[in-house]
Amino acid sequence: MAMMQGPSVSNVEDIVVCRNVHKWYGEFEALKGVDLDVKTGEVIVILGPSGSGKSTFIRCLNRLEEHQEGRIIIDGIELTHDLRNINEIRREVGMVFQQFNLFPHLTVMENITLAPIHVRKWSRERAEELAMQWLTRVGIPEQAEKYPGQLSGGQQQRVAIARTLTMQPRILLFDEPTSALDPEMIKEVLDVMRDLARGGYTILAVTHEMGFAREVADRVIFFDAGQIVETNHPSEFFTNPKEERTKLFLNQILHH
Amino acid sequence: MTTLTNTIEERRKTFFKRFNWQYFLQDNLTGSRWLTIWVAFITLVTVGVFVGQLGSAPGWTLILTAVWAVGILMVVAGELFGLHTSFSRWLKDNLLSSISNTLVTLLIILLVAQVVSGIWQWGYVTATFDSTRTAPDLRSEGATWGVLWGARKLILTGTLAPEHTWRVILTGAMVFVLWLISFIATRPTVKTSMGYLQRISITLWLLAPIASYIFLAGLEYHEPFINIRTLLTGLVIVVAFMALLWFFKVIKLDPVSIGLWVAAWPIGYVIWQLIARTGIFPTINVDEWGGLLLTVIFAIFVNILSFPLGILLALGRRADVQGIPVWIVWPIALIATVYLLSTSTPELWTTSRNNVERALALWPLLIPIAAYFYQRSFQGNMVQAFSVLFIELIRGVPLITLLFMAIVMAPFFTASGSAIKNFWAVIVGYTIFSAAYMAELVRGGLQAIPKGQYEAADSLGFNVLQKYRFIILPQALRILIPPLAGSVIGTFKSSSLVALVGMFDLVGIVRGIIGNGQWLGLRSELYAFLFVLYFVVSSGVSWYSRRLEKRMGLGTR
Repeated sequence: MAMMQGPSVSNVEDIVVCRNVHKWYGEFEALKGVDLDVKTGEVIVILGPSGSGKSTFIRCLNRLEEHQEGRIIIDGIELTHDLRNINEIRREVGMVFQQFNLFPHLTVMENITLAPIHVRKWSRERAEELAMQWLTRVGIPEQAEKYPGQLSGGQQQRVAIARTLTMQPRILLFDEPTSALDPEMIKEVLDVMRDLARGGYTILAVTHEMGFAREVADRVIFFDAGQIVETNHPSEFFTNPKEERTKLFLNQILHH
Repeated sequence: MTTLTNTIEERRKTFFKRFNWQYFLQDNLTGSRWLTIWVAFITLVTVGVFVGQLGSAPGWTLILTAVWAVGILMVVAGELFGLHTSFSRWLKDNLLSSISNTLVTLLIILLVAQVVSGIWQWGYVTATFDSTRTAPDLRSEGATWGVLWGARKLILTGTLAPEHTWRVILTGAMVFVLWLISFIATRPTVKTSMGYLQRISITLWLLAPIASYIFLAGLEYHEPFINIRTLLTGLVIVVAFMALLWFFKVIKLDPVSIGLWVAAWPIGYVIWQLIARTGIFPTINVDEWGGLLLTVIFAIFVNILSFPLGILLALGRRADVQGIPVWIVWPIALIATVYLLSTSTPELWTTSRNNVERALALWPLLIPIAAYFYQRSFQGNMVQAFSVLFIELIRGVPLITLLFMAIVMAPFFTASGSAIKNFWAVIVGYTIFSAAYMAELVRGGLQAIPKGQYEAADSLGFNVLQKYRFIILPQALRILIPPLAGSVIGTFKSSSLVALVGMFDLVGIVRGIIGNGQWLGLRSELYAFLFVLYFVVSSGVSWYSRRLEKRMGLGTR
């Protein structure tokens, strides 16, 4: 239905379509016209210096931030002020946060099943069954009855991933999922993410994990000052970047 | 002999190893000029009090001072010779840790002893407990407790007619039974084996307000047994309410629930009429409630009503709804201004007698100013503007003013000038006052929830209602237990202000008793009773809140 509005800017394969997206915080322009098409099943890693707008951009994709100009179309539905559209899109777009953002007053199982039961209107049995499957897949089925405060950072982040995936989203957004973790826990989260990337999910990940980008990304996008500076295949991006700004950035992070 | 000398020698060594006079004086006396002055001052005060009390009650003063001295000796022995017991260590840590603290301890012991013995003398030794003798016994200096028994009816139920007293007792008994049922239902063993008991007790608690109202206020009987108009009006209201809830997706509609909703009012109405017809519970004028009964009703009513209202106001203050745009606000404001300038102003102008009144006639000019601030401060956000104005207006007014306004102005608001009962006017005034404060408490709790919780809820697709119900409010209310308990206690205690607007709550009725010729001159007894009563209830609430806090696992998130 939404596709009928206005000129068609999406082709069927593109699950995310961004056209000339602008975002201001007061006077400061955080996004200066971002264009991006993401195909179904594509894994995209977004890199860039801090303050470059990469987090802002993926937070615009599920309307945690509001873009003021341009169009964002997710799975054929345009993000506007229409609350019904926003809620529909949020059901299809899952997000994993840097700080996990688990609900501290609920057990792991309740954390995971709350949204499926009340948003997707599933029965408790169905929600718990799927939740258990995902907990098993991220490797912590035995923690289901604990509270988030009793888990380590890496375990919490894996619960957060299971919570997001139990909602059966088609698109996954990762907002620096390993940045708040102790080094020895990063690997357990990255393993889960690699598993998902190979499992056919459409993924947009903001991360500083170059190994992850090199290994599983279909495309690497480099952000600077609110714009996409370079889009490239990971092997090209890391060995033979096109832009000067990218080279400078890679120099700084790879030789510290 | 040598062994003894050796032991003394050893003791001396340990003594000097453990104790350094220089440090001791520095820590306790000569460390700074202010310390010296403070110790000198507290010494003077203590000696003064000691000498004073030695004159009035030498025996007790000497005994207490001796106990104090023994305590010091125990601590000294413990410190210098390593003879500490757990008790002497406790004394050292808490009461006798330095010279000034030691002196303060004696001072407090003496003062407390004086107060306690004074109360003891007045309240027991020289008091009369004869329940038949209610007039003050002029020969004794002590309390005449008989007044409490003699005036028990007034203290408990105020001016309520004696033939209704059994209904108050019935209500109390009902609450006690309900409490008993919940108590049993929440025992761990019962909870698992008879889970339905908990559901029953919750249902009964929900019905309790209705039952209490029937007991305490009674039911009116309308002459034709079934009045078709009342029946239909009620039905329409219930169905409309249900449709509204359905529209906002609060309830689901299936045949069973539709049937229940539609049948609710007719059944309730018939039950109402049946009970009313028996004449067991004739109506009582609510303004006849008084004494402890009124105070308790106020506290419960106001707290229960203001809690949801406060939450709504707090949410309203933070509501991020689409504002009314500038291009709608300004034309409406300008049209209203012009219209009122052309209708209201000339009228007021012609009747004005001086320049101030002429200036007041131009009041419609305030509309654009209000519109300007509305746009500037709230960006046209109606919900936020209303909540902020409501909260700040109410919080800017003392409670007593609000109560006077409620009583004096309520008749102006009611249609056809029918007199509104003072009780209801005060309930409304007091509830909005309490809700405004509650709203600010709740807002604090909402702000304490990290932004990530809101974002996580949003990203999972919860709507606003679900977000607050399942994620934000449970966490916020848990944080809010201590301040909310404070607010409940405050409401309970401040309800005594209604005595000033002519209602006979506990404090009001006590003032009445004091002024009554029968008990002339008896006030300390009554105020002492009030003190104890308010203290017991308030500390009960605060004890319960601490237990609740622990049970809900605050701090162990």
